[in-house]
Amino acid sequence: MKVTFQIENAAPVIAECGAGDNLLELARRANVAIDAPCSGNGSCGKCRVKLLEGQLDSLPSRHISEAEYAEGWRLSCCSRVMSDCLVLVPDIASAYRSRMKTADLSSPKEIAIFEEAKAQLLGSGIDFSNNFMALELMMDPPTLDDTMPDNERLIRAIRAKLGVEQVTIAFCVMRKLAATLRQNNFYVCVKGVREGDSFRCMEICAPMDQTLVGCAVDIGTTTVTLVLTDLTTGAILAKGSSGNGQIRYGADVINRIIQQGRPGGVEKLRHAIIAETLTPLMQTLCAESGVRPESVLRMAVAANTTMSHLLLGLDARSIRMEPYIPSFFSWEGLRAGDLGLYANPEAPVILAPNIGSYVGGDITAGALATGIWDEDAMSLFIDLGTNGEIVFGNREFLMACACSAGPAFEGGDISCGMRATDGAVETVSIDADSMEPTIHVIGGGKPVGICGSGIIDLVAELYRTGIIDPRGNFVREGSRVKRNAHGMGRYVLAFPEESATGWEVALTEVDIDNFIRAKGAIYSAIDTLLQSVGMDDGCIEKVCVAGGIGSGINMRHAVSIGMLPDLAPDTFCYVGNTSLTGAYALVMSDSAVEKCAEVAANMTYVELSTCPGYMDAFVAACFIPHTDSNRFPHSCQEV
Amino acid sequence: MAFTPKTAACSGRINAVTLGTGDAAIVLGGQNVLPFHTFDGPIENPPKIGVEISDLADAWTAPGLVDFYAGCSTMAQRAQKAASMAGADFLALNFEGADPNGANRPVSHCVADAVAVAEAVNLPIVIMGCKNMEKDAELFTKISEALQGKNILVMSAKNEDYKTVGAAAALAYGQKVCAETADDINLAKQLNIMLKQLSVKPEQLVMNIGTAAVGYGYEYVASTLDRIRLAALTQGDADLQMPIIAPVSTDTWTVKESSATEEDEPAWGNAEERAIHMEISTAAANLTGGADAVILRHPAAVAAVSKFIAELI
Repeated sequence: MKVTFQIENAAPVIAECGAGDNLLELARRANVAIDAPCSGNGSCGKCRVKLLEGQLDSLPSRHISEAEYAEGWRLSCCSRVMSDCLVLVPDIASAYRSRMKTADLSSPKEIAIFEEAKAQLLGSGIDFSNNFMALELMMDPPTLDDTMPDNERLIRAIRAKLGVEQVTIAFCVMRKLAATLRQNNFYVCVKGVREGDSFRCMEICAPMDQTLVGCAVDIGTTTVTLVLTDLTTGAILAKGSSGNGQIRYGADVINRIIQQGRPGGVEKLRHAIIAETLTPLMQTLCAESGVRPESVLRMAVAANTTMSHLLLGLDARSIRMEPYIPSFFSWEGLRAGDLGLYANPEAPVILAPNIGSYVGGDITAGALATGIWDEDAMSLFIDLGTNGEIVFGNREFLMACACSAGPAFEGGDISCGMRATDGAVETVSIDADSMEPTIHVIGGGKPVGICGSGIIDLVAELYRTGIIDPRGNFVREGSRVKRNAHGMGRYVLAFPEESATGWEVALTEVDIDNFIRAKGAIYSAIDTLLQSVGMDDGCIEKVCVAGGIGSGINMRHAVSIGMLPDLAPDTFCYVGNTSLTGAYALVMSDSAVEKCAEVAANMTYVELSTCPGYMDAFVAACFIPHTDSNRFPHSCQEV
Repeated sequence: MAFTPKTAACSGRINAVTLGTGDAAIVLGGQNVLPFHTFDGPIENPPKIGVEISDLADAWTAPGLVDFYAGCSTMAQRAQKAASMAGADFLALNFEGADPNGANRPVSHCVADAVAVAEAVNLPIVIMGCKNMEKDAELFTKISEALQGKNILVMSAKNEDYKTVGAAAALAYGQKVCAETADDINLAKQLNIMLKQLSVKPEQLVMNIGTAAVGYGYEYVASTLDRIRLAALTQGDADLQMPIIAPVSTDTWTVKESSATEEDEPAWGNAEERAIHMEISTAAANLTGGADAVILRHPAAVAAVSKFIAELI
């Protein structure tokens, strides 16, 4: 039996299968990207496909109406193949892979933030230097009178040039030593790292190629961002990002860990991140910048605890279960060749240290990048994502915690939610009288769904205009407020004829409820973390908001719905993708590696699930703006 | 020098909410001291006791209750009998018979019963619904309308139906509304805020912050009561200053200690005695925790709790 996946805006893919095979599984096997944040248990409704020909045995789903079912729409995770099929994969189901909007230094604003962070680190005494070097060597070609073997000839030349005692040559160099020396008539370039009195030779090539390249990687649960940098000058050679290929195994870390625990799961997830995500990305970046992978001599990876386990292929199951113990917090000694990364196999891979099961290297690298460890001011650093991580402190101390905000900020758990890709509504304002919305869509086309920043805007505006009450129930009626048969209200952002898909883009009471829980989780985590050191909102002098969805966040709106503390607007700053900035610092600078380890060692991890006050603070925060409205004097309803 | 005891009246005060009309009207709350702390300040309105009456004639089988209401065939007759108990401050009419999954009595019959009770007795009236949200919405609206001017209390408005119940009972017919939540200070406060936003006046509101029979997770009730009362009195939280009513009897009469027969549990002694003890213990715990009113069923329990209040005030 075979299934033809007709993919919008891409070539069709034909996959062989047996009768009764699950369609989503089949798509995964055939490398057809279908977004399935819930990992295929039928709960998110995002993996819709349209059956054009053939037969599928599909379970009914609350996500598919009868009319849609009649048109051929099915959830791929709930469908089994019964005959040869032709299936249409809509563009939105696969857009997450290629056009995810993320902070990857692609805009001048992000570059400015990045440069500012770099300058700040320099000011804090982090010098961007390392021991990697390229040596131009001219050797005497061997003769019948000079019969020294190639490796000794090379070692002597290096010793003479550097004055070091010991020189080691990596296997990858040995393999091409003879050919390279002779092709270049014994005038070559050698790349490697000097450590005290020794030199490790990692690469040999023609004398004109002297670039030393570092690679900084930020592996997020949802997106992966990568930067190639010149290890000598610090210049950025290339940058790029893509969706994490593991997305099809679940939207959050818990689902990924469950998938890893299934037979063959370790290899599947490792393949998804390395072969399907990192390798193509590095190939593209190397090609763009004219860099040979052998020149990539050092890598730094900032990833959360689970992502770093999955990358290394370590069993992550114990992270999920009490008492939540990972295989490692910090570990040295990894080389690119161990993972088969598209780089010099000898290149050391620096893993930003984790400090807890749910506060990982992305946060320690991020904290390093924000410079809060070198300031007198009490700063709050928030990384918004599927997991919200929060760090609070200054040069004297740092406290960190993680809360499960759920996928709402990335569009999960929201009926019309989507990740921040083309077609996502990213900003919304509503006219208080007419209740009509003004929206901005990523990519400029018609709306497909709403992403995190759009939901924050929409909920804030619905509350300001008195359309919803503090619990998120609809209390005003109008042409944009609709109700279903059970009386559940929704606000229609785009009627079917206004949307790109022909389906309504709306936010329902259930969506708002899910979102209120997400924002409540963030605020109560901040609150509990501050209380654990006997402080409150008033002690915060600076708030750094990071994360892929952060760029679009309207801070005023985030405060007015009670997600972030009610502080003066100039207290807040958007610090971009701090995980990537931190990884960049780690790959460039030996002193940053040292400092990051120190920051991680000094960070106290607060496990919220064991804080008795957390649940209470959470319920209090699940209200707009907060049950204790005195905390949010600037949040008000106009109607 | 003579000893002058230090008094500790609080900065916040519980709202005084009046139920009923005329001479029999009662006031719940009004104090600015912790429960029974009369040494800190006067408690002008001691906690009140309501007597529960069912709309179903044969709802209760305890011999003492059957004896007490012997000869009463209508709800109004039972109300008159209940009102004769010493210590009864108000009547709580439990329309459990309206439940569509039970006797499914029509709303019109329930309304007629309520009207008859109001004509037969002059004590303030509290209406307890059948816990079916749709039926209760109609029941509360119609009874509020029929008893307009009687200043009754409707139990309860919950998070799911506060708009309907609040709008019908309080806004349209000027009755009092009880906001019911389940053992969580924040949820209690949130519901009060939303009822106030609906334009229900604070002095029209009473809270049922969640109940349980003692031994059945009562510590949650105790801690919630404590925290709500401390927030209202010491922190002056206006969103939590509503008087608290605890419907004790509906919880205590259903637990095993009250319902198990003497054949099943011979070591436990007389079943009715046990039920009375459960009612008294739970009521005493609620009152000392901060409840401004309790609803009880058995005359013996009413007498004991009434004495308990009188002794402590």
